[in-house]
Amino acid sequence: MEPSITTTRSRRLRRISLGLSLVFACSLSATVLAKETEAEKAAKEAAAQEKLLQVFVHEPYLELSTGPGRGYPVFHVVERDESVDVLYRRTDWFKVRTESGVEGYARARDMRRTRLADGTPFIFNLGDRDGFTSHDWEIGIGGGDYGGANLISAYGAYSLTDNMKVELNLSQFLGNASNGYKAELGLTHVIVPEWRLSPFLELGTGYVLTEPRATLVLPEDREDQTAYVGAGLRFYLTRRFFVRADYRWHTIFTSRDDNEELEEWKVLIACFF
Amino acid sequence: MESPNRLLLLAATLAATVMLSGCASLRWPWSDDKELEQQASEDQAAAEEAAEEADTTPPRVIEPNVARRKIKTPKIDNENWEVGAGMGFVSIEDFGTNSGYAAMLAYHVTEDFFFRADLGQSTAGETSFETLAGDVELLTGDERRFTYYSLSLGYNFLPGEVFLGRGTAMNSSFYVLGGIGSVDFAGDDRLTINFGAGYRVLPTDWLAIHLGVQDRVFDSDLLGETKVTNNIEMILSATVFF
Repeated sequence: MEPSITTTRSRRLRRISLGLSLVFACSLSATVLAKETEAEKAAKEAAAQEKLLQVFVHEPYLELSTGPGRGYPVFHVVERDESVDVLYRRTDWFKVRTESGVEGYARARDMRRTRLADGTPFIFNLGDRDGFTSHDWEIGIGGGDYGGANLISAYGAYSLTDNMKVELNLSQFLGNASNGYKAELGLTHVIVPEWRLSPFLELGTGYVLTEPRATLVLPEDREDQTAYVGAGLRFYLTRRFFVRADYRWHTIFTSRDDNEELEEWKVLIACFF
Repeated sequence: MESPNRLLLLAATLAATVMLSGCASLRWPWSDDKELEQQASEDQAAAEEAAEEADTTPPRVIEPNVARRKIKTPKIDNENWEVGAGMGFVSIEDFGTNSGYAAMLAYHVTEDFFFRADLGQSTAGETSFETLAGDVELLTGDERRFTYYSLSLGYNFLPGEVFLGRGTAMNSSFYVLGGIGSVDFAGDDRLTINFGAGYRVLPTDWLAIHLGVQDRVFDSDLLGETKVTNNIEMILSATVFF
């Protein structure tokens, strides 16, 4: 049975009105949201302005560049005893605002020579050899070998002390017999953190997901818990970079009768901050 | 004979009186020093008393009337992370060029070097063989999905500014990057080596526009013999710093 003209027309009308109301609702909510975000922004800015760090220029002048890099030109100079507010830091540059409202980037090296309001020097992490000994975070990427399979690995670590770190490692391994992923959480103990080439010990646990290659007869994916012990070396390169190489000996608690044992080695390039 | 003797005696007496005139000021062991000792002991007693008094009453300390200023330094915001997404073209060797999209996360270690993770997806087209043969299908629809990720180390070079008209200058730089990763294609995960270059412009401090080209190289045996395939992508993306 064909629908009458009136029903199709009313349907179309209904559809149009529905669409219009939707657009109206969207625009209304958008304006309300926009108003809210503007108010929030203003509040945030006010809050941020209260919390900004003020430092005083102690050298004859402080140069401000247009961007956070050596290629960007110097466009402004702050004189001695004038102050700047520190907005944020990007790599080795600080975005600052002068008393007259000029915003620009100052080198970390130059900012080290400024003073706080009480006359003490402005001290912060410069990202050098001292930072290698003592820092909060480190991240790294690299590759290696996991029981004969190629390994792609990334890690992040948080320092509890200069010696002790909590480490999360995420890896993918690609082998002839199987592929898979693994995630491991462990403790790393750097024996002498102030040495440029310093050894460390590791201990941890994790999960490994093994996907047998399609060509082989092994039926399904396996998820097993693992534990590892390991040892390695870390070597400070320059600035914030270091290389770490480690060997781990894994025990995989399989659902079969015997546990599986696997060797892993990898080399990672990492940075600390 | 008498006069010289008398003269000598006189001279000797004179000399003795002159030389020994200060003897009274010296304390000879046989002299009587009792008075002096008594005086000394009195002085000592007085000093002891004074010391006792000093013990009981606190010493006067000058307290400067200046309050020490305690300055609490606010934490400085670090903006070294960059996250974003984009779209572009991905050319899969033997399977044609198709649109793709990608996401990326970067950590800027110094002004020159950065770590970057890329995640992307595209769909493979048909090989020439499939097109010519008609109804031959080498891969299923699911297997044609080309999903990849990579972990790279990058280097910014030629930093500078670009000028749009008279009043607008934007920071810009070229970069090269390379790393390792994996691609999930045709029902299998493969290890990839990636390298590429890009150009980024920053319209504001927190926003960046990237145009990047990367080659992902992996071994493939999909068309019979194992060979190295080059899969080139070009992605235009927008990122924000946080």
